[in-house]
Amino acid sequence: MKRSRIAFALSSVVFLVVLAISPVKDMLLEWKGYQKDYNRLIQDLPQRVAPAEIGIRQIWVPKLDRVDRCVTCHLGMKEKALAGAKEPFGAHPRIDHDVEEFGCTICHEGQGPATTYKESIGKVAFWEHPMLPREYIEAACGKCHKEKTVTHAPVLSAGRKLIEEANCIGCHKIAGYQRQWVPTLNGIGSKVNRAWLYAWLKDPKAYFPKTKMANFHFTDAEADIMADFLMGFTSFSDSASLDPLPAEAAAPTEAAKTALEELGSTRISEARCISCHSINGKGGSIATDLGKVASKTSQQWLYNYIKSPKRFQPKVLMPRFRFSDKDLAGVVTYMKTEYTDYDLAEPPKHTPDPQYYEKGLALFKKYNCRGCHELEGVGNTGEVGPELTFVGSKKLYEIDFGQSGIEESLPSYLFTKMTKPRVFSSVAKMPDFGFSPEEARAVAVALLGNTNERIPEEMQVRPKQASTYDPQGEFGKLVNDLACFGCHTMEGRGRLVATDLTQEASAAKRDWIENYFKVPYSLRPILTERMPNFRLSDPEIKVLTDYMSKVFLTDTLAHDLSVTEASAAKGKLLYEERYGCKGCHQIEGKGGYVGPPLDKVASRLQSGWIFHWLKDPQALRPESIEPNNKLSDQEAEALTAYLLTLK
Amino acid sequence: MILSRFYRMLTLALLAPLLVAGCGRVKEKPASLAANADSTQHVDSAAAAPAPVLSYEAQQGRNIFMKYCAVCHGTEGKGDGFNAFNLDPKPRNLTDGAYMKTLTDDRLAQTIREGGRGVNRSSLMPSWGARLTKNEILDVAAFVRTFAVDSAAAK
Repeated sequence: MKRSRIAFALSSVVFLVVLAISPVKDMLLEWKGYQKDYNRLIQDLPQRVAPAEIGIRQIWVPKLDRVDRCVTCHLGMKEKALAGAKEPFGAHPRIDHDVEEFGCTICHEGQGPATTYKESIGKVAFWEHPMLPREYIEAACGKCHKEKTVTHAPVLSAGRKLIEEANCIGCHKIAGYQRQWVPTLNGIGSKVNRAWLYAWLKDPKAYFPKTKMANFHFTDAEADIMADFLMGFTSFSDSASLDPLPAEAAAPTEAAKTALEELGSTRISEARCISCHSINGKGGSIATDLGKVASKTSQQWLYNYIKSPKRFQPKVLMPRFRFSDKDLAGVVTYMKTEYTDYDLAEPPKHTPDPQYYEKGLALFKKYNCRGCHELEGVGNTGEVGPELTFVGSKKLYEIDFGQSGIEESLPSYLFTKMTKPRVFSSVAKMPDFGFSPEEARAVAVALLGNTNERIPEEMQVRPKQASTYDPQGEFGKLVNDLACFGCHTMEGRGRLVATDLTQEASAAKRDWIENYFKVPYSLRPILTERMPNFRLSDPEIKVLTDYMSKVFLTDTLAHDLSVTEASAAKGKLLYEERYGCKGCHQIEGKGGYVGPPLDKVASRLQSGWIFHWLKDPQALRPESIEPNNKLSDQEAEALTAYLLTLK
Repeated sequence: MILSRFYRMLTLALLAPLLVAGCGRVKEKPASLAANADSTQHVDSAAAAPAPVLSYEAQQGRNIFMKYCAVCHGTEGKGDGFNAFNLDPKPRNLTDGAYMKTLTDDRLAQTIREGGRGVNRSSLMPSWGARLTKNEILDVAAFVRTFAVDSAAAK
């Protein structure tokens, strides 16, 4: 009897415990703990914040196929009072997207429906998209924003720029990138000397630190074979040939040499070569460094190339300066004296490998040099690397981490691939682009954004269609010859190193444009890149200005106004006092120099342009940093009137 | 005696899972989320000194500041941008903690939005309300605030 009583009591206790398990488990759920912590936290705040009702919360975004329960614990997301509070309760930084509309995991990744910390960050088995580390977060912008420069995503934009500049699409297929101009190797044997080529192949950045050419880590023997192989290609594209060096430059007397050097020095500074080229690191960064160029190539090559760059590199963005033979003799004599590397080490002696051609060709193909450089007789070998259009959706099991020992995640893989391209496999062929850690991270961010996720069409931001503008006729020939697109944009094509010329005839006066071609000067003294003096002939200038005044014109920008003394005086007051224009612009040497000086602005600009510019500068040039003062028409007219008195 | 022992056991049995579960939760609590912010680094932080960790807003604000404001206020906010010596009065030294403390957030944003003339100061400070969005102005203000904090910490 007693025994059965004990048994009964025991079983009751067990039954009670079993009954208690479920409610206790429910009470102790991780997220409930956070919600209670949150409610305790907000009691200490100076402002009143509504307490959280205990319960699961979620954001459902059907069009992105996301269910995100992150807000179950991230309760202070929208509470300004909780900015900087401890996680998970801190307010979300201000961004341009509404979290209710987009959810969380579309940007952060991780496992949206999960309700525990560990599962939600997604570092669990079989979840392929763990949360993006914060330094890679801009990768998510890239899923929808496909334009090259994404506002408010500087890392992503920098990465896309690097991918384009490094010409990754030479070896990898990646949708949305343009092929870069890379010099043809046809005739390289008649252009450079072998010692330079050998050193260049071993380490391109030693000669020119900013070069886009990657380091293939050739062994000495490989570099010897490649140098011998390439030096064999002595004939240029389109059977161009080198003219002999003018006699006066070939063997000048001492006195003549000094005169030539002086002439060359003048021409070089007039032509503003350093707008694009650097000399031992100082100067522009658009083109190669010239500090040691006379040790790389011969005077004869320099003479021929400067005389007519496109004969040898048909698509190069180097303008053809209108130098006379005498000028050129001076320029190359000066370059020989000034741009020679007198410390250049003698190249190691070598006996050419008897099979250098076959072995060289094999190396050339193995490393897909043809992906970037054209070479006569070597056809396109096709992409050798994997396609990267959807690399951001690569599954972890598809990646071979080898012996690298890095964290096994896609961001860390891509980052490491950019800094140590051959660390994952002994047979990897990818060259070393010399990316800094910041650059490598930017490239990884851009690549991570290349996913195959389905994004509704209306949520995608597509890049603008590439402009097909291609001027023909005499003007077109000149634009090509002077490589205008290298710095200027016209009708949506070209670069923005210098002014967008699409509306230039509405902006500037014809006389001024003509004079500017004759004697270009720097409108903004702070810029490095300056318009070179091409030494154009009068008929050439007429061709250019005729075309510009007909085509680069926007009728709606005309705005004639009569200048009265009263309106000009009112404008002057606005200029000096109310809007503080003098802070950035100079007149008669007084004022700032962020913007161009405004002396004689009336001889330069059209009245309509000044008026519309003052009303809304970015409507005319989106990249301008001129403040928009929201002037009334009367104010803008008065200011214009004042500026028109500055002749 | 027997009964009281039963009660003791019962209490223990009921409390045990409570304790175990309670400990488990504490152990799983993430301490790392806030620490993640420390690893945030940005491409344009070329400075050799370890850059202070900026909030997301301040990072965005820095990009805007460098484009529009640094010409006068200087890249370090000291009011010594290359254009500063042409100006009278000089641009505000934004690292001046004592002064910046007297500025409310609203006033700071208003100064950026409406320029000097909006707040009875020199009109040499332009108004950016039409150029920058409301959020961009708040971002710049957030970044500007970091100058004074830094100098205070350095002292």
